[in-house]
Amino acid sequence: MSESNLLSELIDALRRLPGIGPRSAQRIAFYLLERDRDSGRRLAAIMAAAMDRIGRCNTCRTLTEASLCSICANPKRDQSLLCVVEHPADIVAIEQATDFSGGYFVLGGRLSPLDGIGPAELELGRLQGRLAAGGVRELILAISPTIEGSATSHYIAEMAAAQQVPVTRIAHGVPLGGELEYVDGGTLAHAFSGRQPV
Amino acid sequence: MPTALQPGFVLHRRPYSDSSLLLEIFTAEHGRLVLIARGVKGAKRTGAAQAALLQPFQPLWLSWSGRGEVKTLTRAEAAGRALALTDTRLYCGLYVNELLMRLWPRQEGSEPLFLAYQMILAALGREVVPEQSLRQFELSLLTAMGYELVLDRVVDGGIAVQPEEHYLLIPGQGLRRALAPGASSVSGETLHRLAQNAPLLEPRHRREAKRLLRQALAPHLGSKPLRSRELFRKPDN
Repeated sequence: MSESNLLSELIDALRRLPGIGPRSAQRIAFYLLERDRDSGRRLAAIMAAAMDRIGRCNTCRTLTEASLCSICANPKRDQSLLCVVEHPADIVAIEQATDFSGGYFVLGGRLSPLDGIGPAELELGRLQGRLAAGGVRELILAISPTIEGSATSHYIAEMAAAQQVPVTRIAHGVPLGGELEYVDGGTLAHAFSGRQPV
Repeated sequence: MPTALQPGFVLHRRPYSDSSLLLEIFTAEHGRLVLIARGVKGAKRTGAAQAALLQPFQPLWLSWSGRGEVKTLTRAEAAGRALALTDTRLYCGLYVNELLMRLWPRQEGSEPLFLAYQMILAALGREVVPEQSLRQFELSLLTAMGYELVLDRVVDGGIAVQPEEHYLLIPGQGLRRALAPGASSVSGETLHRLAQNAPLLEPRHRREAKRLLRQALAPHLGSKPLRSRELFRKPDN
C-alpha cells in the first residue's frame, strides 16, 4: 500500500513513543484521520504547548510549567523532609501510594559509569546546594535497588554525611501478597537482614 | 539449539524496549557476550524475579541461543549467593566491570581472566578496598590481553629488578631503571611484591602499584577516561 508522505511521517512520529510499534502507530494514525480528527487536533495543540511550556521546577527539578512545582509551592508540605527520586514519575507513584507530605528532589537518573553517567550528569550539584543551604532534617532515598541505584544512594549518603544530614532509604523486601518461596534470593536476603520488631 | 548452562556474570544491563533487558555478560568459555533477556522487566512476578537475578555481581548459570552477535537468553539460574557489595566496594566492582567492558574484546573466552574476575569479586566481599587484589586483577587483564607486564626484569639487557632500586615504566616496552626516585617511578620492592602477589603493606607500596598499573592500562584505554573512577572522588563543590 502506498502512503502519502505526511501519513508515513505521522506513523513514523507515533512510532517513537514508548510501547508503540509500527503496527500500533499505523492503527492510531488511521483512527485519528478517519474517525476522530478533533482529538487529533487537540492532541497536536496540547503536545506543542506542553513541549514548549513545561520545564523543570527550580527547587526539586520535577516537570512543571511554573517556576515552582505545586508540591514545592505548597506551604503545608514539610520541606525539611526531603525525598530523593530518580524521575518525576516516581513522585507520582509515591504521592498516590503514601501519605508522605515532605518535599522531593528529582535526580534525573542514577549514576551509571558504564553508560557514561557520572556525578556531573545528574542534578547532584543542585542537591548538594540544597543540603548545604540547611533546613533538611532527613534525606529519604527512594532510588531503585539496582547496582546503579545502590551506587547512587551511597554517593548521596556520603554527600549528606559531609553536611551532617541524616539519611534513610526506603525498605527493600518481599512484595505484599507475594509468597516467600517465589521471591528471588537477593530480595529475600535484603528482607531478612532488614527485619523489624513486630 | 540453546547452549548448555555456563557459569557467568552480568557486567552491565540496560533496558531494551518495554519489557526486555540488554545484558553484557562475561563467561569463561565465550568471554564477553551481549544477550537479550526478553520479558523480564515490568510487573509480572516471574519477570521481576528474573530481573532481580540478572544483576551484576550475582554468580549465574546462563544459557542462550542465536547465531548473531546479540543472542537470546534462554535460561538463567543463580549459581550462588549474590555478592552484597555496599559503599566503596560497589564502586570498585563497577570499576572492574568497566575495565572488562572497555578492554576485553567480545566473544573471546579466557579461563584465567574469568578466574581472576571471580577472585577480585571474592576479595571485594572481604575487604573494602582490596588494593592488592585489584592490582592482581589488572595484571591478569593485561596478561590475558597479550600485554603482560614483566615485573622482575628491565626491558633492555634483562637485568633483574633490585629491591633497593627505582624503575620507570616505558609504555609499550617495559621497565627501565630510574636514575633517581621520582614522581612516576616505582621501587623495586613494590615490583617484587606485585610479582609475588605479596601484600602491599605500606601506603607507598599501594600508591606506587596503583600508579604503575594506571600507566600500564592508559595506552589501552585511550583518551576516554574510565567513568567509574569519578565515583571515588569525594563530592565537593
